[in-house]
Amino acid sequence: MSNSLGENTLVGQRSPEGLSEVGGDTRRVSPPVTARPGRRGSQWRQRFEIAVLAGPAIIVFLAFVIFPVALAAYYGFYRWQGYGTPTDFVGLNNYFLIFTDPAFHNVLAHNAIILVLSLVFQGPLAIVLALLLNQKIRGRTIIRVLIFVPYVISEVIVGTGWSLMLQTVGAVNGFLQNIGLGALRANWLSDPHIAIWSLMVIISWKYVGFAVILFLAGLQGIPQELSEAAAIDGASYWQIQRTITLPLMGPTVRIWAFLSIIGSLQLFDLVYIIWGQYVASTAGTSTMATYMVGQGRDSANYGYGNAVAVVMFVISLTIALIYQRFVLHRDTAAPISERRK
Amino acid sequence: MNKRSILRVAAVGAAAALAFGALTACSAGGSTAPAKKVTMTFWQNSTTGPGIQFWKTTIANFEKIHKNITINMQSIQNEDLDGKLQTALNSGSAPDIFLQRGGGKMAAMVTAGQVMDLSNVISSKTKASVGSALAAEQISGKTYAVPVDVTPEGIYYSKDLFKAAGITDTPTTMSELNADITKLKATGVAPVAVGAKDAWPAAHWYYNFALRECSQTVLNNTAKTLTFTDKCWTKAGEDVAAFNKTNPFNQGFLTTSAQQGAGSSAGLVANHKAAMELMGAWDPGVIASLTPDQKPLADLGWFPFPSVEGGKGAPGAMMGGLDGYSCSAHAPKVACGEFLDYMVTTPVQEAYYRAFDSPPANIAAQSVVTEAILKPVIAAYKKAPYVSQYLDTNYGQNVGNALNSGVVNLLAGTGTTADILTGVKAAVAKG
Repeated sequence: MSNSLGENTLVGQRSPEGLSEVGGDTRRVSPPVTARPGRRGSQWRQRFEIAVLAGPAIIVFLAFVIFPVALAAYYGFYRWQGYGTPTDFVGLNNYFLIFTDPAFHNVLAHNAIILVLSLVFQGPLAIVLALLLNQKIRGRTIIRVLIFVPYVISEVIVGTGWSLMLQTVGAVNGFLQNIGLGALRANWLSDPHIAIWSLMVIISWKYVGFAVILFLAGLQGIPQELSEAAAIDGASYWQIQRTITLPLMGPTVRIWAFLSIIGSLQLFDLVYIIWGQYVASTAGTSTMATYMVGQGRDSANYGYGNAVAVVMFVISLTIALIYQRFVLHRDTAAPISERRK
Repeated sequence: MNKRSILRVAAVGAAAALAFGALTACSAGGSTAPAKKVTMTFWQNSTTGPGIQFWKTTIANFEKIHKNITINMQSIQNEDLDGKLQTALNSGSAPDIFLQRGGGKMAAMVTAGQVMDLSNVISSKTKASVGSALAAEQISGKTYAVPVDVTPEGIYYSKDLFKAAGITDTPTTMSELNADITKLKATGVAPVAVGAKDAWPAAHWYYNFALRECSQTVLNNTAKTLTFTDKCWTKAGEDVAAFNKTNPFNQGFLTTSAQQGAGSSAGLVANHKAAMELMGAWDPGVIASLTPDQKPLADLGWFPFPSVEGGKGAPGAMMGGLDGYSCSAHAPKVACGEFLDYMVTTPVQEAYYRAFDSPPANIAAQSVVTEAILKPVIAAYKKAPYVSQYLDTNYGQNVGNALNSGVVNLLAGTGTTADILTGVKAAVAKG
């Protein structure tokens, strides 16, 4: 890709007569015939190298990303039970059913809640923890490890563990009972008013470590001199954090928010493990992905399930593109404009 | 992480699509003269212990009698089987003989032309030996599988806990059951365990109320039309709602699974934390694996689902499931039929019972059922005027799934009886 772009610019700089005018490219363009075969040879070798190096990745990408997406779009037009070739073409009916299904409206709302609450819960918490862990305090390494451990544990184990603890007759209620707070016992997982908050606690516990590690890395990139200079000028610790550290953390925070948003939109495993195939919608924690599996694979409506997958893909893509265009834009734009100058 | 699951679905789709090409290429097979050498592949779901040994022995014995036939068995983990089978059927690389779950799944295979019509392939002796169980494997009068076991449903209970609550006789009507539940509550145990996390165990309460409220004709017609307009469907829902109002179920039943660990509904019964549960004939085996010493629960008893006053279902009718075996459309006809015939002969079925602890489909072989716990089950099964297949199987995965979810919502208080039927209607539109 970059090579062909480069060649184009090279061609663009040539004068129409083929004569070189100015610039450092003169030597490469003007030499007599003898140099040409060599250049063409190296050009072919370069192309060959690119084909060999990028080829496998492109084939894998086409076969396992683009092709399945196209297939899902195709199956989405059929009423199909998954046996034999799909024959019952229903046009956009599956999409019509998706957008008129109250259950789908519910999962959209759940996804939106999870998306917003993830940002609101995890963001500030992770920033505070990162600032704290950036100080020279005793046991810093061990605290860092402890905060990061949940992120490394597999979702299945986290889901099983939490679901056992939060059972109506589980450890959390038992603990509350034993410390005399029996009145606070609740159906943490099955009460529709509480379940989504339980899910948010689990998600935050699981993923805040990732945000902290990202932010710590971001903090490492901020030159110490800036805060030292501010301190000499008499700025307090909080003033330094607010006016120097946080603004400079911007790019890291924006990237983290992007990852968090995509993760929230596609949340599946924790919900599926804790609430199983059926109860998530009853408890009010179902997401687009669990809806897709429940209505698609579990109900053997593969055509419908594929249509849900397409809707999910389009929603995620749209949100990702909007975010890229309006939020991440400034992070990527700056270096490029500098290069242009 | 979630992308992975999407990718997985997509990849299955991709694999299936790639396979369509192969489908046309591999449509050889067809019938073979019995004298020629025939090799068949065979998929079953038993991967350990006496189960897999039973199949190895059965195949070895069969090959001794039929020297021209070789059977290659593949043991596939139960939960993996359906997905793999679906891919294999779609790709034209289907096993010649495979486990058949029946109901809507079988209907989908029949529509896609992937299973063999066995009506003239299996012997009349085979048909007679399994009796009425064969009806569950038929669609429009054609037979597509041979049943190997039956799993009639009823309520399994702890005799000790019933005695402790002062209950002398097992209940036969709903009002008796409700009275017993009140007595059990007073002793501090959970009266009824239900694994609503898996949905189907909760939905089985609805199925059994429907079995009592609806006539056999309505049950059968609904399987064809998938319209739940008869009033009995609403009545069954109201029965569930009324029963649920008495708080009969274990605490936190919405997040209780059916069979996994001591906290599951079977585990609660196994550990005397709950007095009873509504289950199919596999339950004694599951409960046995969850007792502290992993031995069968000594005081386990069984009684049929109580009668419901004014219901249109025949008294004594039962809910039940069965496992069967099918031949794929391209399997060698004669050899496949011979193996299915052999599978349900009385000695093989007796061995099947010993290996799996499930009541065999062969009526003559049912007499060897020695376990005290299964004896009343078999007796009730033999007396039953008809046995309806579990509704989620009978009405297909799509409607079954919607039924199951609707019942769970009803029990959780987030849905009504009417919502169950609305959900079913919506599901019919999707599939």
